[in-house]
Order: sequence, then C-alpha cells, then structure tokens
Amino acid sequence: MIYLQLFLEFFHIGLFSFGGGYATLPFLFHIAETHDWYSAKQLTDMIAVSSITPGPVGVNVATFAGYTTSGILGALIATTSVILPSLIIVIIISKLLEQFKHNLYIKSIIYTLKPAGCGLLAAVGVNMFLNEITLLGVGIFIVLLGLSFIKKRDPLFYLGISALCGLLYSFTKFFG
Amino acid sequence: MEKSLYNIYKTFFKVGTLLLGGGYVILPLLQSELVEKRSWIDNDELCEYTALSQSIPGLIAANLSIFVGYKLKRTMGALAAISGMITPAFLSIVILAKILEEVIKLKFIQGIFWGVGIGVLVLIYLAVKEIWHKSIIDKFTFGVFFVIFLLSVCLKISPAVLIILVIIVGILRQFYLDKKDRGQTE
Repeated sequence: MIYLQLFLEFFHIGLFSFGGGYATLPFLFHIAETHDWYSAKQLTDMIAVSSITPGPVGVNVATFAGYTTSGILGALIATTSVILPSLIIVIIISKLLEQFKHNLYIKSIIYTLKPAGCGLLAAVGVNMFLNEITLLGVGIFIVLLGLSFIKKRDPLFYLGISALCGLLYSFTKFFG
Repeated sequence: MEKSLYNIYKTFFKVGTLLLGGGYVILPLLQSELVEKRSWIDNDELCEYTALSQSIPGLIAANLSIFVGYKLKRTMGALAAISGMITPAFLSIVILAKILEEVIKLKFIQGIFWGVGIGVLVLIYLAVKEIWHKSIIDKFTFGVFFVIFLLSVCLKISPAVLIILVIIVGILRQFYLDKKDRGQTE
C-alpha cells in the first residue's frame, strides 16, 4: 500500500522534526536510503529548487516524493500528511492558551519565550550569512539593507532585486 | 479587509507564493501582509506565535500559519490559512516535478538561487529588528536573547532543546517572583 506508506513516512516527519527549516533534512535523506521514492541526488536538487519555488522545503519534498511515486493523489496524501501533526498540535495548544491566558506561569513562560524566539531567528540569520559570505554577496546585502533604512518596503522588493542581481551575475559568468 | 475564510485563504495564498528560500521567510511576509497591511494581528502576537512555532514539532511556516489562522477564525481559519499556504507550493512542484533535473542545471537558475539567498538574509534581518522591539524590553529578556543566540550560533544546540530550557527558566522565574511576594507579605 504505497498511499499508506507515504502517509506514515510524511506524518512521521511532521511529528518529529523540531526547529523547522532544515530539521526535516535528515529524515528526508533517510527516506532516500530506505525507499525508492527518490534518490539522494534528486533530494539535493529538490532542496536547491525549493529555494526558488514557493513553500517550505519539507512541503516541497513531500509533494515531489508523492508525485513521483504515485501521481497527483500521492502528492496530495504526502503533502497533507506532513502538515497534519502541526494542525493537530497547534490547535490543541491554541485552545489551551486561551484557557490559561491569565495563568501567571503561562505568562512568565511566554515572556521568556519571546526573546528566545528572537535569538533563534537571529542565529539562523548569522549562520546563513557565514555560509554565503562572498564579497559580491555582502555588497548586495549591504545595499539592500541601506535601501531598507531609507524606506521600508514590501518583502517582494528585496526578493525581486536580489533574484535579479543573481540572474545578472549568472550572465556575466556565462559570458566571462 | 474583512476576516472571511476566503480572505484568509487568499492572504495566505499570497504569503505562500512569496515564501522562497526556507520557512523562516514567512515571518517578514506575515509582518508585511497581516500586521502592516491588514492589521489582523499585532507584532506582539506574531512574536509569541513565532516562539511557540519553534518549540513544537513540525515545519515552522506551517505551525505559524495555523496559529495565526486559528487566532483569526478558530479551527476553520486554521484550515483556510494552511491550505492557502501550501497551495502554491503544491502546484509549483507538481508542474516542475518532471523537468526538475533539467531546470536545476540551468546557469541562470543557479544565479537566481544565489541571489534569493541574499534577499532572504535581508528579510530575516528586518524580521529580527521588528520583533526585537516587542520581545526585548528589560535586562532579563535581553539576557535570554543573548544566551540563546550564543548557544545556538557557537554550540549549535538544537532549537528544541533550547526552547525546553527556556520554558523551565520561565517557570522558575515565576516561582521566584511568587516566593518573593510571599516573603514581603509575611
């Protein structure tokens, strides 16, 4: 039963990947080794493609694996399974939060969680920055940052300009 | 804009379409679409949901969409938000699946990968700046930020472990405050 297998594998990923972003990758590579749904090489390509296709990597890979193994229905099942645990857990937590909103301990936990969330996000940024450090990249980063100080713009503005820079850069490499 | 299920779906469809380069980008997108343009939630709530989304299982972008959707219109809102978020992801992969290997080899596509990576960094910087004002308000919160940031960057400790630690600190803090209060009344 390929559908049941897809459901179980991707539900498992949704349930056990903590921290988001690239936390799903070890699970996805494990699937590449244990099933013939996609190869490790295909997965590496998928991860790269995910950065220019809409949606989180985990959802993209689930759709891809489902589609290549058993078409549209497989894609639907795999995609739904990867987000189903989130749906259940988040709704339960939201209900609990409503109920215990005024509890001092819950308040204190949220008060402490907020700066921690900010710190984790800052750490993601710094790690990405260190991985992508090339002189040209830093240059574009600084210019975009400068533009954001002059006037705050839509996220699409920054993504658009940086994609365009990348596109132009690839052409200079091509001709140079 | 009215918070109807259709509008929630539509808004998250837009966010899902712009969600390039990893789940964390959803935060600046939600800030722009839901906090600034539509005033459906405030930065304070977004900040709380972000922290919670990182501390539970699942994809951050999915968790965050469901928290916000639930806040807007309970369970149906959560379903509308998550479906809107994943529809563009689903369609783009189904369309690309067959030509994936040819696409990845194209020079200009690789150029775009590289460029988008930089744009994503700018968005993350702006998101941190925005939630900084909401979350770091005194010495204690600054300390939490600093310690978590260092542990995460230098020691690469998993976010799940750090968040569990933070929850314990939050409980101990209230415990301490309670004790201090009692000490004063006696």
